Amino acid sequence: IPESGHKYYLQFSTEDYRTGEDAGNCLATVLFPKKKSRPVVSIKCSHTKDQKKIQEEDNKIYQWIRHQSKPITANNIPDSYGNIEPALEPVWALAVAGSSSIMWEKSTETLGYFLAQVKSVRQWMRKDDFIEFDYTVLLHEMPTQEIISCHMRLTWLPGQPLKVKHFCAPQGPGAEPGSGAESGSAAGPSAEKGASF
Amino acid sequence: QIYQWMTQIQKNYSELVTQHILGKTFENRTMYYLQISQPSNKTKKIIWMDCGIHAREWISPAFCQWFVKEILQNYKTDPKISRFLQNLDFYVLPVLNIDGYIYSWEEDRFWRKSRSPHENGTCYGTDLNRNFNSSWGSVGVSFNCSSDIFCGSGPESEPETRAVAQFIKNKKSDILCYLTIHSYGQLILTPYGSTTTPPSNNEELMQVAKEAAAALTGKYGTSYKVGSTALILYSNSGSSRDWAHTIGIPLSYTFELRDTGTHGFVLPADQIQPTCAETM
Repeated sequence: IPESGHKYYLQFSTEDYRTGEDAGNCLATVLFPKKKSRPVVSIKCSHTKDQKKIQEEDNKIYQWIRHQSKPITANNIPDSYGNIEPALEPVWALAVAGSSSIMWEKSTETLGYFLAQVKSVRQWMRKDDFIEFDYTVLLHEMPTQEIISCHMRLTWLPGQPLKVKHFCAPQGPGAEPGSGAESGSAAGPSAEKGASF
Repeated sequence: QIYQWMTQIQKNYSELVTQHILGKTFENRTMYYLQISQPSNKTKKIIWMDCGIHAREWISPAFCQWFVKEILQNYKTDPKISRFLQNLDFYVLPVLNIDGYIYSWEEDRFWRKSRSPHENGTCYGTDLNRNFNSSWGSVGVSFNCSSDIFCGSGPESEPETRAVAQFIKNKKSDILCYLTIHSYGQLILTPYGSTTTPPSNNEELMQVAKEAAAALTGKYGTSYKVGSTALILYSNSGSSRDWAHTIGIPLSYTFELRDTGTHGFVLPADQIQPTCAETM
């Protein structure tokens, strides 16, 4: 759009991260303004998954984590051979949801991300009902092919948006011009997606 | 272990397989390729396949090994395979970037490049798939040696690149098809990465690739996208696939195997067999 920037019109389908089941379709527009500010997104999705079922699954995970006798800690999820211990799947699932918030904030018109691995995770016990984890996640950046290490503090209570604070290690001289250290809290609208996670 | 496997394979299938030296890596490891060739009095065209140009893409060398095993175990009984071998020779390089591959097992699972030092040993490694002499250094690369897409100090600056390029150049009039195996993404990529201008035989390239993708999907339903790198992935220059095409090899493809990001580079072991079987 002359003078304004680039606008993209998207139609895409979504699927459950774990099972690959169809999870609905979305229509979106994304405007990257000419001046390097954050893109403007409008999006509408159809949800094929039953809200109640989502709540049930969320609660199952929540209860499982709450009933652990010790704070959960782990490294390398998945491991070098792609294995995820079944007991750690909920922790990985939370990392996927939380990292998507980091990717949301970091992605640009020319840079995209995938979650490569959870390098480490440590649970912080809280006196209230919230669950809290400290993560180090590795993001695979495209097209630079770099692996970016991000520290992520995640807080969750089922039925509420996932709260994510992150800090990604600044890239060396090989980085894109204009990148810098970011810390962000994603308690805003983007976290609503995390509500039924 | 792969060295041992190659020796074994040659021993067990000596009527078909010979192991040859291609060259040496930076850290002085020998690069071997396997030649699978049914003796005959006619000269046969060659299909070349290399795996493991990027260290962290472990499913790729696994696929080369699988491919060799499948061909050798079934050539007597599978009519398709025996027909292939009557008319074609296969040359397979199971690990191109041996130094990097070993490094990814021992030190850093996500290492991608080779292990040659630069800038007085302050940083290591060239992205071998940006180091070939095809529009080298023009797009989709970095000249900073700490970048994962560092293209090297010049085209073919790396011994691994030179070893492959020399060999292919020498045999190019007999090579029908150049295949290089990567992960991840589930893509069959055609030339070019450095420009969206299609290669002269684009129709043929696309048709063959589409049929391959369809056959692949037919096995387990895994879907692969087909297209030129510049159009469906990102711009890059100095890739082996582009180089092979520019020197005259008509069918040149990059395969990006499973998956599409859920596991990415750390594909679980239970997906190795289906990935390899479907790609067959």
